[in-house]
Amino acid sequence: MSEFAGAGAEIGSFYPMSRPDTTPPVEEHLPPREWLKKNLFSNVANSILTVLSSLLILVMLRGLLGFIFNPLRQWNATAVNLRLLMTHAYPADQYIRVWFSVAAFLILTGLSLAVWRAGSRIPVPDVGKRVIALGVFVTLATLLAPFSTSARLSWLAVAVFLLVSGVAVSRTSKDRSVSSLSLLVGACGLAALSLWVIPYGHHSFIIDRTPKILAEPGTVDLTTKLPWTLMLLIAVAAYGAGLFLRDRVPAKVARTSLVLAWMVTPILLLFLVLRDPDFDMGHVLSTDIPIFLVFAVLGSALLFWLTNPETGEVGRMVAVTVLFLAFGSFLTPMRMIIRILMLLLAMFALAGPTFSGDRETRHRYAAVWTGVAIFVSWLVTAINTPSTVPVPGQFFLGGFSMTLMVAFFTLLVSFPLGVMLALARTSSMPIFRLLATWFIEFVRGVPLITILIFFSVMVPLFLPDGMSLSEVAAVTIGYALFASAYLAENVRGGIQSVTRGQHEAAEAVGMTTSQKTVFIVLPQALRVAIPPLVGQVIGTFKETSLLVIIGLFDLLFVAKAIIPNQTEFMGSTRENLMVISLIYWVISYSMSKASQRLEQRVGLGEQ
Amino acid sequence: MTDVTDVTETGADSGGVARSDRDLSNAADMIICEDISKWYGDFQALEGVSATIKEQEVVVVLGPSGSGKSTWIRCINRLEEHQEGRIVVDGVELTNDLRNIEKVRSEVGMVFQQFNLFPHLKVRDNVSLAPIWVRKKPKAEAEEQAQALLELVGIPEQADKHPGQLSGGQQQRVAIARALAMEPKIMLFDEPTSALDPEMIKEVLDVMKNLALSGMTMMVVTHEMGFAKEVADRIIFMEEGQIVEVGTPEHFFTNPTEDRTKLFLSQILA
Ligand SMILES: Nc1ncnc2c1ncn2[C@@H]1O[C@H](COP(=O)(O)OP(=O)(O)O)[C@@H](O)[C@H]1O
Ligand SMILES: [Mg+2]
Repeated sequence: MSEFAGAGAEIGSFYPMSRPDTTPPVEEHLPPREWLKKNLFSNVANSILTVLSSLLILVMLRGLLGFIFNPLRQWNATAVNLRLLMTHAYPADQYIRVWFSVAAFLILTGLSLAVWRAGSRIPVPDVGKRVIALGVFVTLATLLAPFSTSARLSWLAVAVFLLVSGVAVSRTSKDRSVSSLSLLVGACGLAALSLWVIPYGHHSFIIDRTPKILAEPGTVDLTTKLPWTLMLLIAVAAYGAGLFLRDRVPAKVARTSLVLAWMVTPILLLFLVLRDPDFDMGHVLSTDIPIFLVFAVLGSALLFWLTNPETGEVGRMVAVTVLFLAFGSFLTPMRMIIRILMLLLAMFALAGPTFSGDRETRHRYAAVWTGVAIFVSWLVTAINTPSTVPVPGQFFLGGFSMTLMVAFFTLLVSFPLGVMLALARTSSMPIFRLLATWFIEFVRGVPLITILIFFSVMVPLFLPDGMSLSEVAAVTIGYALFASAYLAENVRGGIQSVTRGQHEAAEAVGMTTSQKTVFIVLPQALRVAIPPLVGQVIGTFKETSLLVIIGLFDLLFVAKAIIPNQTEFMGSTRENLMVISLIYWVISYSMSKASQRLEQRVGLGEQ
Repeated sequence: MTDVTDVTETGADSGGVARSDRDLSNAADMIICEDISKWYGDFQALEGVSATIKEQEVVVVLGPSGSGKSTWIRCINRLEEHQEGRIVVDGVELTNDLRNIEKVRSEVGMVFQQFNLFPHLKVRDNVSLAPIWVRKKPKAEAEEQAQALLELVGIPEQADKHPGQLSGGQQQRVAIARALAMEPKIMLFDEPTSALDPEMIKEVLDVMKNLALSGMTMMVVTHEMGFAKEVADRIIFMEEGQIVEVGTPEHFFTNPTEDRTKLFLSQILA
């Protein structure tokens, strides 16, 4: 009967809807009076509701404006402490490393926006309408806010300017359009320009006080305005380069390499640029590189043999042997790097028969192994090497950069783990199913805070001699385990939505269970799971703020506990919290928008 | 091995000889079913089904809905497991040994009523995926073959589309191409035209006819009596999990011996 239900769903998506060749009905455009009547005052009850809710909105807006423009507010607390908020104690004389990292992200962003064809074209009159709306809002706000007369007049001037230019723009031809990205760049450009010309600082707008500007032109440091301006230029240049490449590189290649770059770049930036390991070249040449070479050469040879379709059953036995050796290496004293490489090689070996093929495929498989081995060897060596950047305190990053870092590594670890757990929970092997179910149900039954505290306090005590783990790393692992249990449930939903017919079709052409999983089930399952997964990614990002509880210096901690204790910004907690809320919101909202586009794109392919 | 590329040359209407006149008595046995039984819980879906299908033979299985046709045909490539009896496909017996199952499946192509194409892959990749990863063909070669097969089933221009953008008849032809890409010795069809709009049935049946003429061993569950009459070497009539009557189309449609067959025919031809 499940066959039937699945079949029905499939038929629906298989037959493309035939559309009659008519133009869509023209959208109704009522004159303002009638629009108001139809939508807001259609009967007595609706009119009362409209009036009441308008009043409520006005009261709230007035309260908010009163809060924002209160002379006691110290909005410059966040501006002055931006460095503290972003990187906490990272030394100022090493800041070029931070700017380099920001630039790297902006380059990736610019390239990605171009390659994925982000942004849309907006008709110019619509831009005008939005400017008019902004003008109306500023007028309203100016009238509501507790401003002095002269401040009110100058703000009204701004509003009139917006209204007039908005009307002018909205009168232009409907056929002209601008891209939303160029509008964004224009806005960022204006912001960057304002750093050079506007005297940012403390302004007094309030009644009973002479409007005076406490800041002088040029208040913004050169070390702030110059890098930010450069960053904008770099982002625009990267977008241009992306446009150039887009027409010359096959889309699939460009997208795959960008996705890979998004995963690898944060690791490189963190452990190479920001942390700057002080490699001991003698040790690297005498120990690390030889170990890597042994694994690269012998591993490649082994995998090349294993991916030969003729190898057969012997290959599987050898792969299992490697796995046992890898487990064994954790029981005997040995370098960590050897254990890790053994484990990775075992994974590659076990997956070998699934990806076996012609010579080219086998060479590619061995090459991927070599690449992974290089990366992992470097990473392990870098982590175990002391840093050249002198940082007071427990960890070299803090504030927003720590928030981002913990979120990134949590997701990086929890994704593959969650997918594996979901596969185990849906597998036909009772032992896997049982273990996965136990793990998931256990983790889901424990509050996140408990897990974080456990990993920050207890786990370092359990570690074997000679192995140490920074608190941040321990907590990230705990958080990743937590996230993976929830992720597994979302993925499991996707896996179960793959119809029985799909399984049978894959089996009927002779695919093995792992081939069926990799090529048929997972791609479809992950597509279905995109909306809940994105929700989870956003949640994971936001909930890093719980790190405050175990005393890590993340964004929230800096905003809540450090800045309000500075003598000049005593008690500025609320301002800081509002600003970091905005930061969280902008990032979460962008992710949500990006995922909507992803869903549309994936849906397109399937129709 | 059957060379599928012959099909186009033979053409749909050139096979004027009645299929049942062919002498297949010396051909090798491709599928041997000996007394197979299958239960779903307490319900017995197959009750001692025995039949032998020869190389190049085309067998059409008829029977009322729920008579066990699908169950039987699905046992032959182990999509369902039979509990009693023996099934031997091209000399390989189907047991719990995974290697035997994989071997049989890569030699037996199957076409489903609901097509079951992979919706996330382009049509070309639907066809070439299994040859690349199961048959270990080089990618370029597999894609070339996919293109040739799509041409064979008459839709070479659809290779870059996704299955959802195709009509039902086109999708079923892709499904046939996908099965043929594994270069099977046997093709199983489980009501391949039952989910299609009437105007699309012919295009699929034509492809199947060509395939039969090219010498493919085929086992077809269908309700298309015209196809059965014209193409089948033998017709097997099933009811309630048992084979009721076996015979040439001529025998079957003109003077069936069993009362149950007569009843079925009178209902279906009425
Ligand atoms: N997965 C299943 N579970 C339980 N009963 C089944 C299942 N599949 C088929 N059956 C039953 O087995 C009988 C034969 O089904 P089937 O082989 O599909 O018949 P046909 O293809 O001839 O219409 C039917 O009575 C059906 O209800
Ligand atoms: Mg059936």
